Amino acid sequence: MSIVAINKLTFTYSSKKLCVIDDFSFSMNKGEIVGVVGESGCGKSTLLRLIAGLETPLSGKIDISEVTVVDSRTFVPPERRGVGMVFQDYALFPHLTVAKNIEFGLHRLSRSARSARVKEMVELVALAGMENRYPHELSGGQQQRVALARALAPKPTLLLMDEPFSNLDAALKAAIRSELREILKKAEMTCLFVTHDQQDVDALCDRTIKMGERIAVQSERISS
Amino acid sequence: MQQLARLLRDFKKHNNGWLWISLLAAAIILLPLLAILASVGKAPNENWSHITEYMLKDYVLQSVWLVLFTGILTVLLGVILAWLMAGHDFPLRKFFRWAMYLPLTIPPYIGAYTYGNMFSYTGTVQTTLRSMGIKLDQAYFDIMSMQGAVFIFTMFLFPYVYMITVSFLEKQSGSYIENARLLGRTPVAVFTRVVLPISRPAIVGGVTLVAFEVLSDYGVVNYYGIQTFTTAIFSTWFGMYDIESATRLAAFFMIGIVSLLALERLLRGHRKFSATTSKNSPLAPIRLKGISRWGATAFCLLVLAVSFVIPVGQLFVWAGWTYEEVLLTSDFLEMTFNTISVAFLATAFIMLLSIVVANMTRIMNNSFGAALAKVLTLGYSIPGAIVAIGVLSIFIWADERLAPLYSWMGRGDAPLILSLSLGMMVVAYIIRFTATGYNSVEVGFEKIGLKYMEASRMLGIGFTRTFFKVDLPLIKGALLSGTLLTFIEIVKELPLALLLRPFNFDTLATKSYQYASDERIFSAAVPSLFIIAVSLISIIVLHQAGKRVV
Ligand SMILES: Nc1ncnc2c1ncn2[C@@H]1O[C@H](COP(=O)(O)OP(=O)(O)OP(=O)(O)O)[C@@H](O)[C@H]1O
Ligand SMILES: [Mg+2]
Repeated sequence: MSIVAINKLTFTYSSKKLCVIDDFSFSMNKGEIVGVVGESGCGKSTLLRLIAGLETPLSGKIDISEVTVVDSRTFVPPERRGVGMVFQDYALFPHLTVAKNIEFGLHRLSRSARSARVKEMVELVALAGMENRYPHELSGGQQQRVALARALAPKPTLLLMDEPFSNLDAALKAAIRSELREILKKAEMTCLFVTHDQQDVDALCDRTIKMGERIAVQSERISS
Repeated sequence: MQQLARLLRDFKKHNNGWLWISLLAAAIILLPLLAILASVGKAPNENWSHITEYMLKDYVLQSVWLVLFTGILTVLLGVILAWLMAGHDFPLRKFFRWAMYLPLTIPPYIGAYTYGNMFSYTGTVQTTLRSMGIKLDQAYFDIMSMQGAVFIFTMFLFPYVYMITVSFLEKQSGSYIENARLLGRTPVAVFTRVVLPISRPAIVGGVTLVAFEVLSDYGVVNYYGIQTFTTAIFSTWFGMYDIESATRLAAFFMIGIVSLLALERLLRGHRKFSATTSKNSPLAPIRLKGISRWGATAFCLLVLAVSFVIPVGQLFVWAGWTYEEVLLTSDFLEMTFNTISVAFLATAFIMLLSIVVANMTRIMNNSFGAALAKVLTLGYSIPGAIVAIGVLSIFIWADERLAPLYSWMGRGDAPLILSLSLGMMVVAYIIRFTATGYNSVEVGFEKIGLKYMEASRMLGIGFTRTFFKVDLPLIKGALLSGTLLTFIEIVKELPLALLLRPFNFDTLATKSYQYASDERIFSAAVPSLFIIAVSLISIIVLHQAGKRVV
């Protein structure tokens, strides 16, 4: 089943400038983990924002789970797309503690299920004992892990991640990567993530797309 | 076709309760103003030729002189003080830097009757001089005149120019001024060749605020017997009971104001308050030496004395004579209650509408949103008397339409129900003062940006719930200061209250003004001090907010 299908997507931030994304097509199957690479400023974050519903395309169509979420007539708001996102700048809620940040998207679960899920996530990102801190009391890497945990917690069908490991040290990165792949596969989550790190690609991705050229170049994962 | 479909999609995207409340807010503000403009199209009645012949030219001229002279003097005083504070060090500078805001706590109409009485034949100044055996010509004390009004406006409004210019100079002018000093320019040359030209945008911004205040004023000019456009509207309305002509006057006045706004744009050039170079270094003050060192302190002391200490001191003396009588009359409590409840009601609506519209425009992020924001802040540049006329004509129109309903309800044939209600005053305040609340809320939203809202929506929380769970707690501070500032503006306001208050409904401002007009100036002291005390809070809030920004 195709989870994401993008057809001839075009987008620009202002009508005077060149299109950031021009006639872009692409699709992903359920459970796939796809890396997005490309040089800075080529529109990777923009692509993620379009899929999330935080920007509206000029033309083209996006389907998520075989439902059209945006075309020239339709627009499904971000909160109803079932898409999770780890932001490049984390965007942790400054007025909420780590635990409350992670719990934020779990409003559909019962209270006990909620706290169990928070605990699970905190352990995944190795932040046990810091649940009651506020974001400004954490280091950059710790904040990034909270952002990851917060996005993973509601188990979205599609997870978008914008450079989710850029601020982590090598050891932590390796540990989280392998565990993340396991979690994603177990929950059958589909994941699209932006990275500059070839190791991320090797360890996590089934395939990558390279943005920047007019037509995205796709490469298959060399399965071992 | 495609275009149309996309337009419909984008409309649906924003089609929620927030949008409709925003449109309602825009309608509330625009309708009365449009109603005024529409009156230009109607044929004038028989009073109009009389008005144009005997009043219009003089009134326009007086208004123009008043604005012009006040403008020049506030710029002189405001910029000199700003330059003194920003570029120099002298004893008590830190204190004066802040204290120069204090004159803003005294509404000019209170300053006007305080000084008016102090300079009268039986007032403090002349009796003191006489007791010292000095006898001077009465003409020297003629403050109830054009010069007097300009003096009053200058002394109590110059902080607008000072406030904006001093923070501009402190933050942005370092590199220019230090260059000029290094080139060995004399202090006067630095001031005229560098300081004045580079602070032009700040000065224009400040003096525009001054001009709006002067044009909107009724208290000072009426007390001093000067005929301006605002008094023309008042006397056409209450003297001739000719609302039609009053509306027509208001329309021409409004067209004038709009031209003035366009002029401001032009003068300010395309830049806003930020300077043009990227090297905006803060300015390091130089230490004054010798006579000029104490001269600067003395000058600041003199300005502060005239514009704050003396009038407040005089009011305290008068309050001492009359507080028992004023406080014990039961209507003092009543008018305090009236003031607070009207201000509270209007402020609540203003903040509500501001939040809704500001939140809506920030997600729309297009020219429609920008236009909405413009409309909401429009009222600040429209004098109170004009707003009052507009609101009145809309309410009378509504009463006429509702007349069948009234008679069906057994309330008589042609009663005025809406247009005699408190609702009219509240709506007028919403129109006039939404800008104050809206600007605070907008600053709050700008500071947090969109990312928290986006993060929340990505976690499955809708726009409205996101507002309550994320945005509201994060803009609390801005919201609080916006609420306070708006509340205080309304408490101080005079012309709208005078024009639109229901029969027998007094506020602190209207009552103190009435006392003063009825030659019971001493009784006006207590309510005036109340108003000044409340305004003092707003200066403190502004000061605190300013410290947080820096
Ligand atoms: N809000 C915006 N308004 C206008 N232009 C923007 C905006 N956001 C991004 N851009 C422009 O769009 C282009 C693509 O930006 P985008 O953030 O998608 O790049 P990116 O591939 O994520 O880069 P990086 O790897 O540095 O994060 C850039 O040229 C950028 O300058
Ligand atoms: Mg990016």
